[in-house]
Amino acid sequence: MTDSAGSGDAAAGPVVEFHDVTVAYSGRPVLWNVDLVITGPAVFGIVGPNGAGKSTLLKAALGLVPLAGGSIRFDGAPLAAVRHLVGYVPQRETVDWGFPVSVMDVVLMGTYGRVGWFRRPGHREREWSAECLRRVGLADLAGRQIGRLSGGQQQRVFLARALAQRARIYLLDEPMAGVDAGSQEMIFGVLDGLRAEGRLIIVVHHDLRSAASWFDGVALIDMRLVAAGPTASVLTPKNLRRTYAGQPTVLEELSRAVATGGRTP
Amino acid sequence: MILATLLTYNTIVVAAAVGAVGLAAGMVGALAVLRRRALAGDAAAHGTLAGVALAFLATGRRELPWLLLGGLATALVTLAALVFIRRWTRTRDDAATALVLGVSFGVGVALVTGITARGLPDSAGLEQFLLGHTAAVTATDAALLAACAVGAAALVVLGLKEATLVAFDDAFAAAAGWPVAVIDLALVGLVAVMVVVGLPAAGAVLVTALLVIPPVAARQWTERVPSLVTLSAVIGAGAALAGVVVSGLVPRLATGPVVVLACAAVCAVSVLAAPERGWLARRRRARWADAAWRESRILAALAAERPVAGDAADNALLRRLIATGLAEPATAGFRLTVAGRERAVEQARRRAAWEAILVVAPDDARAFLTMEVPDPATVIDPARHAEITRLSRTTP
Repeated sequence: MTDSAGSGDAAAGPVVEFHDVTVAYSGRPVLWNVDLVITGPAVFGIVGPNGAGKSTLLKAALGLVPLAGGSIRFDGAPLAAVRHLVGYVPQRETVDWGFPVSVMDVVLMGTYGRVGWFRRPGHREREWSAECLRRVGLADLAGRQIGRLSGGQQQRVFLARALAQRARIYLLDEPMAGVDAGSQEMIFGVLDGLRAEGRLIIVVHHDLRSAASWFDGVALIDMRLVAAGPTASVLTPKNLRRTYAGQPTVLEELSRAVATGGRTP
Repeated sequence: MILATLLTYNTIVVAAAVGAVGLAAGMVGALAVLRRRALAGDAAAHGTLAGVALAFLATGRRELPWLLLGGLATALVTLAALVFIRRWTRTRDDAATALVLGVSFGVGVALVTGITARGLPDSAGLEQFLLGHTAAVTATDAALLAACAVGAAALVVLGLKEATLVAFDDAFAAAAGWPVAVIDLALVGLVAVMVVVGLPAAGAVLVTALLVIPPVAARQWTERVPSLVTLSAVIGAGAALAGVVVSGLVPRLATGPVVVLACAAVCAVSVLAAPERGWLARRRRARWADAAWRESRILAALAAERPVAGDAADNALLRRLIATGLAEPATAGFRLTVAGRERAVEQARRRAAWEAILVVAPDDARAFLTMEVPDPATVIDPARHAEITRLSRTTP
């Protein structure tokens, strides 16, 4: 059932294809003719400066912003046909954390797609959501109101909700923003586990130093695609210059970080 | 005499119907507030007046079903205008709402006062739609109001999961394939229906209060959507009933103000006395925190045989420590008893434990540490606590 809509067979890795994707806000291009094929299983980073259009690329893939041109396919099929195979972790600041829901309530939202209209999640969904919470190390906080969590824990709740979606392809928007090192380590660990299960994880990410150590592949984006491919071959001084031109201090810091092999002490 | 007014068949039917309207308004209002549609609801409510007047002009009679249908039509026009202005002009949300609300209400008041000033036959009661007046409602009209209210309440129960999802995280809902615009439209449609059937109870000016105040009051008592909706329904029903009864007892008293005052009273009590979020509870917590902080400071000072140079609050706490056998008077000042020294050592141990947790698992420290400085082992999940202990051993 899972691949009836796609052209690829389930045994092959998951694939996301961006063909000539262009997005414009009130007449100005935000993304410009982006051509990119990402093949899984992999943890793949979308990296670039602020305002480069990284988040817009994810939103366009999910149909949250209209395309001015081009097309995006998941396993060869349009999004509408394979939505249940695509999981999403939005930026943490986009929701009101004072909202009256518990950690478990939020994770259960990941099962709503399978539960369907007007029916309530049952025992099976609760079990599965509890399992997802265990995977991100928050089992003991299931009953807590979500506002009483640290930033890193909130981000892990969002990750658990995405896990609950049982997707084949995951799109994460800045999951490491405002997250302490411990949570960051744990989140990347969970992503590694997903890759080991054969999934494709695409992460919008702003920190180049950790990018070098965690991602199998990277796309450098600044409105247009600068370079894409295996991390080591993409994060070269030349490509970084072409992406971060106009930000000399950032650039200097980045090339030093990349030269030392990524992982920060 | 009072009993006789209260117990006529008509009064009972109307009271039951208005109670049902209050119940449904509380439920729909809870979803509207969670989705931040309270102001849009207010604009829709003020927009009903013009429709009521136009329906009267069109039919020439003061029949509630037609008047309410007219009110619903202009309420929806008002909402459409709001959406249009927000989307196609560079007007911010609050300004757009104020603009639409003012204009639609202005049109309504002009029509109603124009009609009543001309003394058109049967037009005398129209201004009752401004502030609400249930005394004039017939049993047949009441049945219609009740039916609408029960329908709206049933829809809220049916779509609670979907409405909660969209209200909490619309981007996630849209990405997962839920038709956010359709769910929003259904919610705003329900809000429009509720402000219209709420007109007899509270009038165009005040009916929003019946939708907005109950959920605000309910929010003080609960952290979950289902109980929020339930409690809001109860408060709304109670306030609406109070409005019917009180305005029935006092001649010529409009129902709306009584309803609003009843809602506001519940809200005031909630904000003051709710167990977790209430003002009193927060003040109590602040005092506990202050006492805990003072106690640890005093214990530390006495343990180090330093004098306690404190204010009146410190002295009060010192007296309490003596009373509970943790400290005792000494030749110069005070000193700790054996039990007091044990407590001081335990506190130092807990503090050190939390500092260690802050190093290896700052998230857990932030989630569980309170000013009372509890023993970490009693507040962190045992498996997680063991993991943290292992982490702090391996971290230099």
